[in-house]
Amino acid sequence: MTVDWTPVALTRDLPPLVVMPVTVGGAELALWRSASGRVALWADRCPHRGMRLSHGFVRGEALSCIYHGWSYGASGQCLRIPAHPDLAPPEAIRVPVSHATEQDGVIWAALSPLASKPPAVSGTPLRSLTLDAAPDLSAFGFTVHGPVASGTLSGTPVTLLLNPQPDGRVTVHALCATAAPATLAALSRDLEALRRVAEGAFA
Amino acid sequence: MTGQTRDPVRDEWYPVALVSRLGPQGRDTLLLGEAIRITLENDAPLVTAAGRTLPSQSRYGHVWTSLGTPPHALFDIPEADQPGRRLVDVGLVRVKCSPLRAVENFLDIAHFPFVHTDILGAEPHTEVGRYDVTIRDEVDEVWATKVHFYQPQAAKSAAGGITTEYMYRVPAPTVSVLYKTCPPRPGEWDVITLFVQPLTETLCEVWPWMALFDDTTPMTDLIHFQQTIFLQDRSILENQQPSLLPLDPGLEIPTRADLTSVAYRRWLKRRGYTYGAQLVAA
Repeated sequence: MTVDWTPVALTRDLPPLVVMPVTVGGAELALWRSASGRVALWADRCPHRGMRLSHGFVRGEALSCIYHGWSYGASGQCLRIPAHPDLAPPEAIRVPVSHATEQDGVIWAALSPLASKPPAVSGTPLRSLTLDAAPDLSAFGFTVHGPVASGTLSGTPVTLLLNPQPDGRVTVHALCATAAPATLAALSRDLEALRRVAEGAFA
Repeated sequence: MTGQTRDPVRDEWYPVALVSRLGPQGRDTLLLGEAIRITLENDAPLVTAAGRTLPSQSRYGHVWTSLGTPPHALFDIPEADQPGRRLVDVGLVRVKCSPLRAVENFLDIAHFPFVHTDILGAEPHTEVGRYDVTIRDEVDEVWATKVHFYQPQAAKSAAGGITTEYMYRVPAPTVSVLYKTCPPRPGEWDVITLFVQPLTETLCEVWPWMALFDDTTPMTDLIHFQQTIFLQDRSILENQQPSLLPLDPGLEIPTRADLTSVAYRRWLKRRGYTYGAQLVAA
């Protein structure tokens, strides 16, 4: 179990009514945002038949499983079982809930409540990408403190937020100290180049 | 052979090839993790595993074999020999899931509005009414009867929405036979089967096969209809956790709509059929 905040997505990649799969410390979770903008992070598994909730759909303030449409409200409590529309679902039907918070355009997650806040970061959200490798970013000139790696790409300060994946890969959420579209495009290509080198494709 | 312990997994019959597609090159595949080869010799199937000839037979469009010594004949589908039916070889869909999960999904109707939207079901018609489930001890099969469900397009031959009646039957651990209201022939049942070949505990090939009263729909359309349905099911089956079917209660939560699944799991456990299953709620 992780004891630190884990960066799981950029805020702008999770608009209302969207659900996506993420991992925290190896645990598979479903990250979603309700119609009103509330972010929630749950076990990625419907208690009914074990289907991934990240394949589900959001309506209003509830997340529904794509398999049988069972829907779950803010606390993870089952609200409705479409096969039995007149049944009030028992209390025991509940999806385990983790913790997520938004700060600086980044969604941070923790499996258990943390007293601390996530590390403060700054910059324009650039993009997220997953590297099929777990490189030592200090070899690329970055300074690494926990999940935060700071450095420059093509002369622009860049922050890379790291979320190691269980299969030896790492998901990276990048922010940068510019908002100029041409620079953002160039930095995005720089990240792709970094990825290729890290993965050894052209090493 | 008397006194030899029966192996509830190896002693079953399994579908391993479609007779109509078995060319001169034969078919190399897996059964319960073991490499097998199927060929036709003078129009009769020959199945071998590591040089050993396995029992085999052609029935319901498919070649059936066993790694063990089946104590029983292959289950009977009397409708298969009924005059006037079209027999449809749908082909195969490979699915990265437990063979038992594939069968259980076939027994489930509550997912129709969400997985087969506007074909086999549609909101707000999501309710699953009471139906009957029994394990018929005299034939050792699971049966669900009096199953009713509203369907926008129940079959290729259905023009609009109808309430369809179903019966489900599990005559072997990796086989399910579905009897379904037949739109052009009231009083008869269309027969749609799911024959599942277990390659491993978490990989299977699904062979749907049909015996229908439908003289008008082109064969290609019949096949495409079923393939659409099974590809939609695959997106579910490859994303269930755990991938093995839990036979003990605790890990998953059934409701009244799942009584067929509950009976199927109980029946598997009673037979000691654990390939593709997990026994403890891990």
